[in-house]
Amino acid sequence: MQLATPVLDIFSVFGRFAMFTGQVIIRIFSRPIFTQATLNHLAITCQRCVGPVIAVNLPFGSVLSLQGLQIFEMFGAQRLLSSLVSVAILREIAPVMASVIVAAQGGSSCAAELGAMRIKEELDATEIMAVDSLRLHVVPRVVALTIACPLLYIVGALAALIGSYLTAIFVEGEASGVFLYNLWTLTEHRDLWAGILKTSVFGGVIGLIASYQGFRATGGAAGVGRAVNETVVYSVLVFITLNYFLTSALYGAP
Amino acid sequence: MMAKSDNTVTRSVQTFGDYAYFIADLFTATLRHGVSWRSVIEEAHKIGIRSLPILLIINLFVGSNLTILGFHAFTPLGGQRLVGLFVALAGVRELAPIIAASMVAAKAGTQMASQIAVMRIQEQIDALEVMAVNPHAHLIAPRMLGILLVMPALTLIAIFATVFSGYVVSVYQLGLNGTVYLEFAADGITAMDFVYCVVKAWVFGIIICTLSCWFGFNCKSGPEGVGLATNRAVVSSAVVCVVVNYFISEVLYGSL
Amino acid sequence: MSIITLKNVSKSFGTLSVLKDISIQIPSGQTTAIIGPSGTGKSVMLKLIVGLLHADCGEISCFGTDMARASITELYAVRQRFGMLFQDGALFDSMTVGQNVAFPLVHHHKSMTETQRRQRVEATLELVELPNMYQRHTSDLSGGQRKRVGLARAIVTEPEVVLFDEPNSGLDPITSDAIDALICRMKKMLGITFVIISHDIVGTINVADHIAMLYEGRIVQSAPTDQFVRSEHPIVRAFLERNLVLPNNAGEVATLPSLG
Repeated sequence: MQLATPVLDIFSVFGRFAMFTGQVIIRIFSRPIFTQATLNHLAITCQRCVGPVIAVNLPFGSVLSLQGLQIFEMFGAQRLLSSLVSVAILREIAPVMASVIVAAQGGSSCAAELGAMRIKEELDATEIMAVDSLRLHVVPRVVALTIACPLLYIVGALAALIGSYLTAIFVEGEASGVFLYNLWTLTEHRDLWAGILKTSVFGGVIGLIASYQGFRATGGAAGVGRAVNETVVYSVLVFITLNYFLTSALYGAP
Repeated sequence: MMAKSDNTVTRSVQTFGDYAYFIADLFTATLRHGVSWRSVIEEAHKIGIRSLPILLIINLFVGSNLTILGFHAFTPLGGQRLVGLFVALAGVRELAPIIAASMVAAKAGTQMASQIAVMRIQEQIDALEVMAVNPHAHLIAPRMLGILLVMPALTLIAIFATVFSGYVVSVYQLGLNGTVYLEFAADGITAMDFVYCVVKAWVFGIIICTLSCWFGFNCKSGPEGVGLATNRAVVSSAVVCVVVNYFISEVLYGSL
Repeated sequence: MSIITLKNVSKSFGTLSVLKDISIQIPSGQTTAIIGPSGTGKSVMLKLIVGLLHADCGEISCFGTDMARASITELYAVRQRFGMLFQDGALFDSMTVGQNVAFPLVHHHKSMTETQRRQRVEATLELVELPNMYQRHTSDLSGGQRKRVGLARAIVTEPEVVLFDEPNSGLDPITSDAIDALICRMKKMLGITFVIISHDIVGTINVADHIAMLYEGRIVQSAPTDQFVRSEHPIVRAFLERNLVLPNNAGEVATLPSLG
């Protein structure tokens, strides 16, 4: 049976990506490992992403307080605000925000750097000098993003909690003691671990997609722009979808 | 243009000043040279078509996660029926506009930044200047007007997708009553909410377009310059939109 | 009679001084070449002339207009009297060859009908020896073809001055010669002012009426071609002899001295 070309195209793209992923993963678990390069990328990624992560989570926490109070005011249950806030932040908002920033900043830098190297034939030059370009350039970036994402999740969660606290207390005039007392009523330890697990997976996925796009960039400078664009879009698509399934698996069934 | 200072604070002020000049130039150039409405429609169409698929998918999944979250947050408080209200309020007022903006930034914003950056490094923008065609009016104004045209529609679609997926998840996954969900959802949304959404959509559209085009316009040379411009465009658009969103929400809904 | 004048013009980028106190007059109706080693500021000079960059000090005037003090309207009016061929053509990749060449007509000659425009574009493409290329997409063109289309776009509005930014760059020797021949033919046919920035000395000698040499940010010599070629100035001699194939220079690696 002859499948339609678009369907075959999708399969071939998936296939190539799966092969790429396989090649990267094999190299993560075998020697030599370029630890210094990995730590460098980790440091750079965290440095570049920490600002935006805080800048994005803080207002979101604030908005959560703002709108949350509007709902609870309808039922006179303002004191319960903080329980909603912490659950929302730890389970959904902080992981998603951290992953979005890692995709938009870390993933896009990764794709842009690898893409520029591909266009300028630096990756080819590396291979010709008998050095594995995947091992030297790709693996460190993928591992760095996998580690950076959960770290940024924790920072982001803190920022969001602070944001929501500040808005609830100083703008909306709620009582600080009540807010803090009820803060952890609904959350469990596993919420934090689930968040860390989710963000590690998302970080890895972003790293793989970004590296794949950059590694295979073609078409000059415009190709680099395209690689960055597609990285951000596909990363977000994949982890939002994964997020739904992970959330359902962890929390879904009542 | 002044030389770049070494001091970070001065540099930030200078950068902001450059950005403000860029917007002012855009405004005056458009008024002076006019804009081709055909290109505006073309740009609007491109932005809409590019952003729509990902916008739909993301909002569907965000709506579903929001519902599950709301369910778990309100059930212990005896408020299962409030899920509809929660999704409608949070979704309509905050999530849908900001996610629509993020998706437009991720898709259309990066496209704008990289297209204009490539033109810059290939001297096409210089060529426009030398042919006495103003690049702001010719390249950027159509994109700006196009995004303004299309953002409200995209935001409304985002709202619909969020509420719809919330409904599906509530009924088929969580086993709640669909009618109750819809009733409470309808209760939570007022006509003013839609107006506020449109206002947010426009503000975000302006932010995304001006930042993306500005980074493209001022990119460094070579393929790295293009990648960097695209990168900065998407991150700054997202961050600025989220921060501005807080202040808009405070003004529209809160105590400020 | 000079239509472009630079007086005591200096330009720096940060600490890098690219042009130091340049004064030059471009005569009307003739072909002036500005030569010199790569990276000496030749392209910067061209961009200063059309107002894409602003000088740190000095005066630049085109057609009597002071480019630094000109308003946007005056600047655009002056630019419409120029045509410019950029190094890589700077063609608009989203358009066909015909649309690229027609672009300045569409924006500035609004009284022309579609048919008149098309005729003019096709005639101009014939002039640059690219007949039947109207519908071609710019991404399909070779380097030499891009230069020709760029040149067509520069002359389609019948400007008074055409500027060439390194017309031979990135071309193989045969195509480079072909472009030189084309520029010669254009010169004879149009009789307008040409300003050519180049590091290719052989082609320049063939086409230019007047040559100025830019070295380390200064004009070391500016003279009509036949005088320039016989110049005794050491820098000029060194540059000419390195570029011309002369038997007594074979095997010698000459380095250009610094002006200090």
